[in-house]
Amino acid sequence: MELANTLSQDGESRGGVLAHLERLETQVSRSRKKMEEPQSAQAEESALGTRIHELRRLRDKLRAEVKQHQASVKASTTNVEPDQTLEITEQESLKRKWENVKAILQAYRFTGISGKLTSRGVCVCISTAFEGNLLDSYFVDLVMRKPLQIHHHSIPVFIPLEEISAKYLQTNIQHFLFTLCEYLNAYSGRKYQADRLQSDFEAFLAGPLQRNSLCNLLSFTYKAEPEGQSFPFCARLLYKDLTTTLPTDVTVTYQGTDALSTTQEEQRAAHENLFFTKPLHQVFTSFARKGDKLDMSLVS
Amino acid sequence: MDSQLVEARALEAEITALRRACVEPPAPGEDTSRVRKSFRETYQADSEGWELSKDLRSHLGHLESEIQFLSTLTGISIRHYSKKTEDLTSTEMTEKSIKKVLQRHRLSGNCHMITFQLEFQLLEIQNEESLSSVITDLSIIMEPTEYSELSEFVSRAEERRDLFMFFRSLHFFVEWCEYRKRTFKRFKEKYPEAVHLSEGASSSCMGIRNPSRPGFELVIVWRIQIDEEGKVLPKLDLLTKVPLQALELDKNGVIETAPLSFRTLLGVLGIEATLESLIKSLHTEASN
Repeated sequence: MELANTLSQDGESRGGVLAHLERLETQVSRSRKKMEEPQSAQAEESALGTRIHELRRLRDKLRAEVKQHQASVKASTTNVEPDQTLEITEQESLKRKWENVKAILQAYRFTGISGKLTSRGVCVCISTAFEGNLLDSYFVDLVMRKPLQIHHHSIPVFIPLEEISAKYLQTNIQHFLFTLCEYLNAYSGRKYQADRLQSDFEAFLAGPLQRNSLCNLLSFTYKAEPEGQSFPFCARLLYKDLTTTLPTDVTVTYQGTDALSTTQEEQRAAHENLFFTKPLHQVFTSFARKGDKLDMSLVS
Repeated sequence: MDSQLVEARALEAEITALRRACVEPPAPGEDTSRVRKSFRETYQADSEGWELSKDLRSHLGHLESEIQFLSTLTGISIRHYSKKTEDLTSTEMTEKSIKKVLQRHRLSGNCHMITFQLEFQLLEIQNEESLSSVITDLSIIMEPTEYSELSEFVSRAEERRDLFMFFRSLHFFVEWCEYRKRTFKRFKEKYPEAVHLSEGASSSCMGIRNPSRPGFELVIVWRIQIDEEGKVLPKLDLLTKVPLQALELDKNGVIETAPLSFRTLLGVLGIEATLESLIKSLHTEASN
């Protein structure tokens, strides 16, 4: 199967994709050449013009033959009225096909990787999402050449694009794209969590959320109950693995000078565990819910 | 010029159709209508309709090559796609210039030997400042279901409504499966008597034995797992099958620690070199 070849390790994926690009490039350059080189364009044009002339003659000759053929057929058979409603004209079937093909092209964006052919090669668009929320898209413009080059891109500077392309771009384009996908989706997810914390749970934060551009180091002081008597805890989340949206290191410490009581220590440890296992904004959603429960108990 | 090329191609197509019409033997009914149809087609060349299909045909060709290219680039072939849109904007929302639309998408295709069918709902809410798109439902059907590792992964993807993670992990999973298949096949070809694949090349186990020493067998189990975050990782284990007498002679407990040593070796030499060294060790030991 053609597709299987793209996964072999010795540069065949490059061959498959590159070969394809080459074919397309020659197609495109053939039609573009005329605009760039008027001299040879003229010669080509006249050659093409002659060919068209010949084709027209052949077509007219065949038309006459078919007419004759049809006349003899008409004479020998009874009149059959064509059922026009059953026939699909060539135009209609073409249009249907075109719509179907266009739809499939659009559908590719749902795989996370989509692209458009360019005169140079291809512009790949990588989409990101977190918890079903569609987030930013990024693009990488590839130039079809040996070696494959990145013409320009919208990948943020703190994503290790050079590292990833050094490893995979030349040998396995699919791996390159999907790895880039991993990093970008993880970054988008971490950013989403940090943004949600800042916007939705401002009341719980006792100070600004400190974050770096890669959103893999977050530091903040919070209260599990915004108006309650709970103590402020200081949390530090580190996401060492840039392809994940959950932290690898979590430290929750107590801000004050007094020692923690047993319940407070239990709370602190429980919070640490929560930050490890749940997305950041969901942790605070559960804090908010607990708060609601407490209010309910006061009322009843 | 472009239009000349298109015209030339259209003429060629017409000529082919006309040739076919000439060759067909006269027969009642169907064939006359077919001939008449191609006749109609030929006269369409001089009407507006012909211009439209000329453009469509060339554009269609270009789009089809784009799809073929995307399929090669991503390793994912989409065969069918349909979408239904439902406008959920209430009059209240329209007054505040908020638009709410629910899209139902259906997508099917394959990634190598795995075919998938997806249905998902996308809720788009547009207000003055921004557009939010959220996947509110996702259902995935996959075949073949012999890869048991995938069913758990599929339910997790559905739960999280993480469409992109699904495709990403699917790609890496397939890549690992292909690599495992290639590696096993290579060893089987290189050491046909020593290597034994119980379920053929797609099996997850490779047995190493020496025909001159029956009773001894090393089985390498190579599983491909997808973790909570959708990361695809290979997991290799070594099982030893050794006759009781040999076990009694094994003072240093080499066989007991074999699985652990295997893991260490994997870390140092990598998968292929480790497997090859195991095969060679069983081979040479027996021939001594």
